[in-house]
Amino acid sequence: MDKVTCIVVGAGPAGSACALALAQKGIETVLFERGRVPGEKNVSSFVLYAHELKRLIPDFREDLPFERIVVRTDQVQLAPNDAKALTSYNYRWVDDPLAFTAFRRKFDGWFSKKAVEAGAQLMGGMKVSDLIKDGDRVIGVRVGEEELYADVVVGADGFHSIVGEKSGLVTAWEPKRCFLAVKEVLDLPSDVINQRFQVAEGLACEQGIYCYHMNDLDVFSATLYTNKDSISLAVFARLDELKEKGIQLHQQLEILKKHPYLDNLIRGAQLREYQAHLLPDGGRVKPEHLFGNGVLLCGEAGGITATETGMGIPTCLLSGMMAAETIGDALKKKDFSKRTLKNYLIYLDTTALFDMIHKSRKESDYYASAARSEGPREMVAAADIYNQYWEKDVTYLSKSSFSLLVELYLRIGQFRVPGLLRWPLTALVKLSRLPAKYIEEIKRKSRQRYYEWKK
Amino acid sequence: MNGKSSLPIDDKMATVKIKIHKDAHITVKKELCQECPTRPCLVICTAENYQWDEKRQEMIFNYEGCLECGACRIICPCDAIEWSYPKGGFGVKYRFG
Repeated sequence: MDKVTCIVVGAGPAGSACALALAQKGIETVLFERGRVPGEKNVSSFVLYAHELKRLIPDFREDLPFERIVVRTDQVQLAPNDAKALTSYNYRWVDDPLAFTAFRRKFDGWFSKKAVEAGAQLMGGMKVSDLIKDGDRVIGVRVGEEELYADVVVGADGFHSIVGEKSGLVTAWEPKRCFLAVKEVLDLPSDVINQRFQVAEGLACEQGIYCYHMNDLDVFSATLYTNKDSISLAVFARLDELKEKGIQLHQQLEILKKHPYLDNLIRGAQLREYQAHLLPDGGRVKPEHLFGNGVLLCGEAGGITATETGMGIPTCLLSGMMAAETIGDALKKKDFSKRTLKNYLIYLDTTALFDMIHKSRKESDYYASAARSEGPREMVAAADIYNQYWEKDVTYLSKSSFSLLVELYLRIGQFRVPGLLRWPLTALVKLSRLPAKYIEEIKRKSRQRYYEWKK
Repeated sequence: MNGKSSLPIDDKMATVKIKIHKDAHITVKKELCQECPTRPCLVICTAENYQWDEKRQEMIFNYEGCLECGACRIICPCDAIEWSYPKGGFGVKYRFG
């Protein structure tokens, strides 16, 4: 009977980050991937923000397989006969690049290789089909006929997580909370891209596009970014709305491509590859469903993505890193029960992850409800007001000023504190986070007042 | 639906590389589809793998062209779709994800 300390299922950003962080701690880790090589099953539809990657691999820029460095960001509002774009250039990213366009086949391959170099063992072309359980405790995985046992299993196996399902952590899906996405990679010569997007050689443009009232769909979003000699164009829509309106998403993409704004940008481009993906709408799973006896969920398996803000890879990566921290602690205590793995939530809470997921979800609900009540021209005209919701806070690892208390709580959590004493401590930590939220609220209100004044 | 696609789905799918396993990873209980009032899978599937045969009143389904997004599984109102990923190493292979 073979046994290792930790099994990570899925070699995407979350899984590879977790395996890499575990291997860096010297913990024996096996990483399973159902694709023959990591990345061949994965689709991403936005830019790779590398703030968190930098923490994990400080010298990542040396051999990161990227296409272009992002310097231009556009926020575009589209209605059938209107378009409004807000362009911003971020030149500090030229010298200190932190946002890239990349192909996942290359990026995921590179990232998992880093985990292997650190000491993790990668098993490609192996689909984990079932979990081995002892009561409600997960003790290993089944790959076809073979079995492998472990102290803890990390599920980083994406939207349709087998680990989440078989461990009972993930139960039902709401079509309302799912985004369907289709993407096309379109061939276009490098110099044409530079000219049309007004960027220098090697630099990229990313566009977040909100589309209102096109072909019966109240609101849907699209993203566009430039690679070396191709353009990636993706559209997203909520599954329940597509069903309700009876609209095929790839048809919707074709209609969008005919819009004069996009037609100008992609004219003459040839289709290189067509892709599809389903993704959670920021935080599908409740936090208490992220851990169980001998099992943790991270990345899309746990619903940890901030879809609307375009933050898929960084959030997944971060959750993988935090899972590794939790396992490191659990190993010291030699206890892999729910009780210790609960620390995962505290680790996640030390980052701004939950706030970002919440924000993303709120944002997408906001757009949906606004577009329902207002017409296409009004939506585009009012873009100034809505754009404030697009303000991005790309670093999640910024701890709150009261993180000392969180730190303290983590330290105390290591010893068995009697329940009575633990409760006031938890309350104290939670209270200490309140002021930050108040400040955010005050900021938001003052901004709102400013916009109203400007009108 | 207003506006017709300039590029039919077959042309799109021709750009995708798929390694087909002899065993289907998705099975559809076709008898349930006959009772289904809405059949959302017909519009939701990004590869148009579900087709409704009006003459024979039967669902036609191909697992071979599957992009593994799994939208059909979430949207099916009748629980008629038994869905799993293809065997390790098989299925869709994206080159430019």
